[in-house]
Amino acid sequence: MAKWGMVIDLNKCTGCAECVAACKTENNIAIVGKEQSEMGRTMLWMDILTLYEGKYPDVKVRYLPRPCLHCDNPPCIKVCPVRATYKNEEGIIAQVFPQCIGCRYCMAACPYTVKCFNWTAPDWPDEMAAALNPDVSARPAGIVEKCTFCIHRLQKAKEQAAVEKRDIRPGEYLPACAESCPTRAISFGDLDDPKSEVSGLIRSPRMFRLLEEIGTEPKVYYLSESE
Amino acid sequence: MVSRRKFYLFLFVFLLFLGIVVWAQKNFQPVQYNHKLHVEDAGLSCTDCHVNVETHERASIPNIAVCGDCHDDPETDNAEIKKVVSYVQEESRIPWQTVHRVRDYAYFSHRRHVTLGQLECETCHGNVSARELPFEKPYVEINMSWCIDCHEQRAVTTDCYACHR
Ligand code: HEC
Ligand code: HEC
Ligand code: HEC
Ligand code: HEC
Ligand code: HEC
Repeated sequence: MAKWGMVIDLNKCTGCAECVAACKTENNIAIVGKEQSEMGRTMLWMDILTLYEGKYPDVKVRYLPRPCLHCDNPPCIKVCPVRATYKNEEGIIAQVFPQCIGCRYCMAACPYTVKCFNWTAPDWPDEMAAALNPDVSARPAGIVEKCTFCIHRLQKAKEQAAVEKRDIRPGEYLPACAESCPTRAISFGDLDDPKSEVSGLIRSPRMFRLLEEIGTEPKVYYLSESE
Repeated sequence: MVSRRKFYLFLFVFLLFLGIVVWAQKNFQPVQYNHKLHVEDAGLSCTDCHVNVETHERASIPNIAVCGDCHDDPETDNAEIKKVVSYVQEESRIPWQTVHRVRDYAYFSHRRHVTLGQLECETCHGNVSARELPFEKPYVEINMSWCIDCHEQRAVTTDCYACHR
C-alpha cells in the first residue's frame, strides 16, 4: 500500500503562485470576491505563506507553499463528530463533503489552518461555469473543505493501472500543484517506496517539517532555503 | 346544486392534471425509443450504440450519427421514426434525458465495472433488451447503500475515498 507524500524545495520555489492558481482551477474552488475576502473568507487549498525577515532596507522575503499537510497523526480527525474527515489506508486525509455537517471543529483543531469554510454557495460567472472540472464536485454552502491531494486523479490513475494490469508508475499520479510548478519545486510520490524521489529527498539535511514539535507528523516535507 | 358544480370543476381539474402527467411521461424522452426492436430484432449489441461503456466512465447515449445509419428515409408511416429522420436531416441532436446519474461528488466508472469487474449491464440496468419504451426512471434507485451492498458482497473496497471526491 502506497503512502503518499510531498516534498517542497524552498530553494527552487520562487513564490510565483502557479500552484495556487492550478489548485483553484483544478478543484473548482470558489472565488469569493473582495468583500468576503476582506472578512478573511478567501478560499485556498494551496496557499503561499510570505515571511519577512530583517528590517528595512535589509529585508529578506521567503515564500512557503502550504497545502493540507496530510499529517500522519492529524488533530483534525479526532474532533470530527461525524467522521467526515479521516485518514485513509494510503495516508490521505479525506474530507467527505456530503458527510460534513459544517461544525468547523476540524478548522479549529488544525494547527496549520489549511481548512476553509463555505460561507456562501459557489457562484460562477457563466464563462467559468462551463469550464469547471467535471471530476471534482462543487461544494455547497455550509461545509468545510480542503486539499485532497487531488484524490480524483488517484482514482483515475488506479483504474488505468488496473486496466493495464500493473502498479501506478512514479509520476503518474501527481496533484495539480506538483504538476504545474514551473521550477519543479514540488515533488510528490510514495513515501513507503525507498526508491521513490520523495523518499530520497527527505533524507536531505535540509529537510524540516512545520511545527515538528507538536507531533502531527506531516507528510508534506520542506527542504529549507540554503543561505 | 353548488356542490355538484364544484364536483365537476374538481373532476375537470383532476382530469387535466392526469392528462398532463400522462403526456409528460410519454414525452419524457424526445423519441419513443424501443430497445427490444433494436437489440432482439435488428441484432445490435449494447456496445454498438453505447460506444464508451467499456472504455470510459460514462457509457454515452447514441445520437444522430448512429441513428442516421439506418433511419434516413422519410418515407415511413411510423411517426416516431419520422421524428428521428427529421433530427438526422436537420443535423440537430436528439435531446435525450439522462436517467441514471450519480451525484457529482461520487466517482462511478463503467470501465471499472464492465471491463474490469466483468459485470453484466443487466445487474444494474435490468433486462434492457426486453424494454419497448424509453427509460423514465432508473432500474434500481441509485444511492450509496446500493453501491456499498454490492461492494461488500464482492469484497471490493468500501473506503470513502475510493468513491468520494
Ligand atoms: C442497424 C440499424 C439501426 C440503427 C443504427 C438504429 N435503428 Fe431504429 N430501427 C431499426 C429497425 C430495423 C427498426 C424497425 C423496423 C422499422 O420500422 O423500420 C427500427 C425502429 C425504430 C423506431 C420505431 C420503434 C417502434 O416502436 O416502432 C424508432 C423510434 C427508432 N428505430 C429509433 C432509433 C434511434 C433513436 C436510433 C439511434 C439511437 C436508431 N433507431 C438506430 C434499425 C436501426
Ligand atoms: C455496476 C453497475 C452498472 C453496470 C454493470 C452498468 N451500469 Fe450503466 N450506469 C450505472 C450507473 C451508476 C450510472 C450512472 C452513472 C453516472 O452518473 O455517471 C449508469 C449510467 C448509464 C447510462 C447513462 C449515462 C451514461 O452515458 O453513462 C448508460 C447509457 C448506461 N449506464 C449503459 C450501460 C451499459 C450498456 C452497460 C453494460 C455494458 C452498463 N451500463 C453497465 C451502473 C451500471
Ligand atoms: C440502437 C442503439 C442502442 C442499442 C443497440 C442499445 N441502446 Fe441503450 N439506449 C439507446 C438510446 C437512444 C437511449 C436513450 C433513450 C432511452 O432512455 O431509452 C438508451 C438508453 C439506455 C439506458 C438508459 C440511459 C439513461 O438515460 O440513464 C441504458 C441503461 C441502456 N440504454 C442500456 C442498454 C443496454 C444494456 C443495451 C444492450 C442490451 C442497449 N442499451 C442497447 C440506444 C441504444
Ligand atoms: C453489482 C455490483 C456493484 C455495484 C452495484 C457497484 N459496484 Fe463498484 N465495483 C464492483 C466490483 C466487482 C468492483 C471491482 C472491479 C475490479 O475488479 O476492478 C468495483 C469497483 C469499484 C471502484 C474501484 C475500487 C478500487 O479498488 O479502487 C469504485 C470507485 C466503484 N466500484 C464505485 C462504485 C460506485 C460509486 C457505485 C454506485 C453508484 C458502485 N461502485 C456500484 C461492483 C459493484
Ligand atoms: C462504493 C462507493 C462509495 C463509498 C465507498 C462511499 N460512498 Fe458515500 N456515496 C456514494 C454515492 C454514489 C453517493 C451518491 C448517491 C446519490 O447519487 O444519491 C454517496 C453519497 C453519500 C452521502 C450523501 C447522503 C447519502 O447517503 O446518499 C454521504 C453522507 C456519504 N456518501 C458518506 C460516505 C462516507 C462517510 C463514506 C465512508 C465511510 C462513504 N460515503 C463511502 C458512494 C460511495
